[in-house]
Amino acid sequence: MNPEFIRTICPYCGTGCGLVLKVEEGRAAATYPDRENPVSRGSLCVKGWVAHEFVHHPERLTSPLLRKGDRFEEISWEEAIALAASKLKETAAKYGPDSIGGLSSAKCTNEENYLFQKLIRAAFKTNNVDHCARLCHAATTVGMLQTLGSGAMTNSISDLAGADCILFIGSNAAESHPVLMGEVYKALDRGAKMIVIDPRETPVARNAHKLLRLNPGTDIPLLAGMMRHIVDKGLHKTGFIEKRMENFEALKTFLQAWPVEKAAKETGIDEAVIREVAETYARAENAAIVYCMGITQHACGAANVIAVCDLAMLCGHVGKPFSGIYPLRGQNNVQGACDMGALPNLYPGYQAVADAAIREKFQKAWKADLSDKPGRTVTELINAAGKDIRALYIMAENPCISDPDVNHVMEALQRLDFLIVQDIFLTETAKFAHLILPGACFAEKTGTYTNTERRFQLLHKAVNPPGKAMGDFEILCLMGKALGLAFDCNSPADVMSEYAGLVPAYAGISFNRLERAGIQWPCPDESHPGTRFLHGEKFTRGLGRFVIPDYTPPMEKPDAEYPYYLNTGRVFAHYHTGTMTRRSPFLNREIEDPYVEIHPEDAAALGVGAGDWIRVTSRRGSIVTTARITDRVVKGSIFAPFHFTEARANMLTNPVLDPACKTPEYKVCAVKMEKDHEAKAR
Amino acid sequence: MLDQVKQKAKEILEKKEADGVLGLRKGLFDVIHPHVFTVPSELDALVLEPKWLFAKMARAILREKPQAWRLAVIVRGCDERAIVELVKRNQIDRERLLTLGYACDMDQAKACLCSRPFPQKLDAGAAVEGVDPLADERVKAYLEGDAGKRMEMWAAQLKRCIKCYGCRNSCPICVCVPCKLEDDVWVERGVIPAEMISFQIIRAFHLSDTCVACGACQEACPVGIPLMTLQLSMREALKKDYNYEAGLDANRKSPVLFDFAKEPRPGQAVPDWVDSMGKKP
Repeated sequence: MNPEFIRTICPYCGTGCGLVLKVEEGRAAATYPDRENPVSRGSLCVKGWVAHEFVHHPERLTSPLLRKGDRFEEISWEEAIALAASKLKETAAKYGPDSIGGLSSAKCTNEENYLFQKLIRAAFKTNNVDHCARLCHAATTVGMLQTLGSGAMTNSISDLAGADCILFIGSNAAESHPVLMGEVYKALDRGAKMIVIDPRETPVARNAHKLLRLNPGTDIPLLAGMMRHIVDKGLHKTGFIEKRMENFEALKTFLQAWPVEKAAKETGIDEAVIREVAETYARAENAAIVYCMGITQHACGAANVIAVCDLAMLCGHVGKPFSGIYPLRGQNNVQGACDMGALPNLYPGYQAVADAAIREKFQKAWKADLSDKPGRTVTELINAAGKDIRALYIMAENPCISDPDVNHVMEALQRLDFLIVQDIFLTETAKFAHLILPGACFAEKTGTYTNTERRFQLLHKAVNPPGKAMGDFEILCLMGKALGLAFDCNSPADVMSEYAGLVPAYAGISFNRLERAGIQWPCPDESHPGTRFLHGEKFTRGLGRFVIPDYTPPMEKPDAEYPYYLNTGRVFAHYHTGTMTRRSPFLNREIEDPYVEIHPEDAAALGVGAGDWIRVTSRRGSIVTTARITDRVVKGSIFAPFHFTEARANMLTNPVLDPACKTPEYKVCAVKMEKDHEAKAR
Repeated sequence: MLDQVKQKAKEILEKKEADGVLGLRKGLFDVIHPHVFTVPSELDALVLEPKWLFAKMARAILREKPQAWRLAVIVRGCDERAIVELVKRNQIDRERLLTLGYACDMDQAKACLCSRPFPQKLDAGAAVEGVDPLADERVKAYLEGDAGKRMEMWAAQLKRCIKCYGCRNSCPICVCVPCKLEDDVWVERGVIPAEMISFQIIRAFHLSDTCVACGACQEACPVGIPLMTLQLSMREALKKDYNYEAGLDANRKSPVLFDFAKEPRPGQAVPDWVDSMGKKP
């Protein structure tokens, strides 16, 4: 029999590459790049090429599982749904609506995220729903909302190819968003300048004209120093500022405190380099700033984002093609999960729960009584577990690897009266569940993802979920009905038309328009082609606003006991908590063991050789991992990828939060290291 | 031309010249994908674009089918050449495979910098004249002129590699198992960019006398490395010194493997300009 070929979207990063799955006898047998996808145009990264490998893995969950003591027993779906609903209802009745919390998922589709937040909000009258955007780009949403009025990437990926200057700050896109880098290189081949600001010499940095290896967490001093120089030199765009911006005087006053000399001292970058880079960015006709977790995962992440926006607006590099601000979204659908209102203070389309008129609109649409009180964030939900939060419903998230200070997370989850985990594998988090619901992966569902450039893209179901596992959409519909809601949604397309009716920016989007190219929101009506770049005529908030970024140095600096900085991040062959990539043979072959990058001088001082097992310890935990000796890191700093369950970098990280957006400071904490002699026996 | 190809493909099935025809089909949700057509009526869904090479896939299909099963493949010039190369290497049994060749148009030839945008066995369309890739400005920049400068350009391109293996995966002739690029001796695991000499150059040399200049590697490369240009110098050297071109003559073996004895004059084997990797850095 001939194989079938099904077009879908890659489940890994936020670039949103197009895949064609080859299906043989009901199994995803191979992956090809989709030559017609407007984002990836026939290219894929190593993860995309083998995206089918984990789909039929023997460890997939195939039946609902109920905890019996320290083991799990298979139960039927009827029992599982009835139990989940009754436990949640019981808890809400006993401890109040705000004792229930839900973690939605940036891996799931828009339609599933919409249903999930609706379920938590409508069934329990609480806004305790959040997802992992909290851990990555919440700072962007908060920071860009204040300055521009919209937290989304301002331009399209393809715009990068036309930029004359591209400034990377805290983004290692060559490993984290590999296919997107193709557009950057097109710009370089045209003669564009590329500047990278990163403490590490990442693969992105190796392709740059200039690398600024700043001291960890000193982004605001650097950006302030650059802005100061631009203003002193008169390189700011006066016309743009007068017509489009407000609060410029306040910014100028703030910059008085940041002469370039001071910025140089704080960041460890030469004054001359700061001046040169500032001029290159300001003088470019079209300039783009690409940033990622290196900006947001700090105790002043939102302020970092604000400083990035201030710089871009100061030079008029927003609201036109080939320029703009590019906060690269990590997860395949983290943009969509935010858009769909899986956030404790916002309904779908970033409409505030605290706004009475908005709430009224949703109450009417959902025929439910809704809470006016913003709910708890991911980290707050976990902290309150077993205290104010008594039951938690986690859909396809794995906080036991992804959240900071995972020892604390594991303790907290065990304090819960009832924990439901819906996932495709028995994750580290699922092991703590009372009830496990087996969901479906990307190849097994129909729906949409929204990529980092606001593009809704269509997934087609290629294969069936294994065993009794069920699509997350279907599970949510059953859950909703069991909780007494009118979840009669027949199909994801129906759900899309429901939210398109509630959010003006998605009003023109429907399934039948999405085949092949997708649509970039805002798309206010059915004849609207979608939006390539934002803030063109005016900013989403009206006038753009210069906001003063409050600088907070890293909360935990190295000292005598913990003498090294620890930085965390991703590597090219693995994805986040490794649930999928570490079960993919080709990817796991590429990187099998956990490692940390150590500078040669530090390694020599510790007597550590390449590949040696070492113990890394912070005030919160300790891991045993291997050493990679490289000058990609500076002396005194180490870098650990966070994908590895056997050596979780997040055992070490500091759970201190940015007060504005509650994003943890993953990028800086203090650790010590020693050679682990016992590990040899392992 | 599409109708002509459809007609010929139908005839092949009707006359039972082959049991299946491999080509592109516009399928569910309009996704365009390779497909083995086995009934003439199916061929209404046949399309010819986008460029997609079937040589490697034809090999896989024939291996799965019984010995008596025959396959017809709808091919462009480059695909026909790729099949010839696989036949030479005993990867495809020529007795079990026939081709239905069609010519590419001028736009396609220009886009691919193709010097032979047509198959030797042409069944549909009219052949257009090819493009000389060595006349292209970008190609010239990488292959001619100051060796030091070219070395810098190549290094800058090759260090963009994200090791997606797309070049290998999309190549119609890369069929070795195990693949040298997955051998720890040559390619260090877990790091990018892939090492220039041990990954890129080994790959290029592996294909030096096989490459049919289809450009599939370059088209699949997410970071735009001019991979086909990397092969051109070796293709050109073989052409110049041995009058050999991969994929043209199924009976002529590669001179790299068989012609050492009748080599041209010493010192002439490698033209001066074929040093695009230049001096060692």
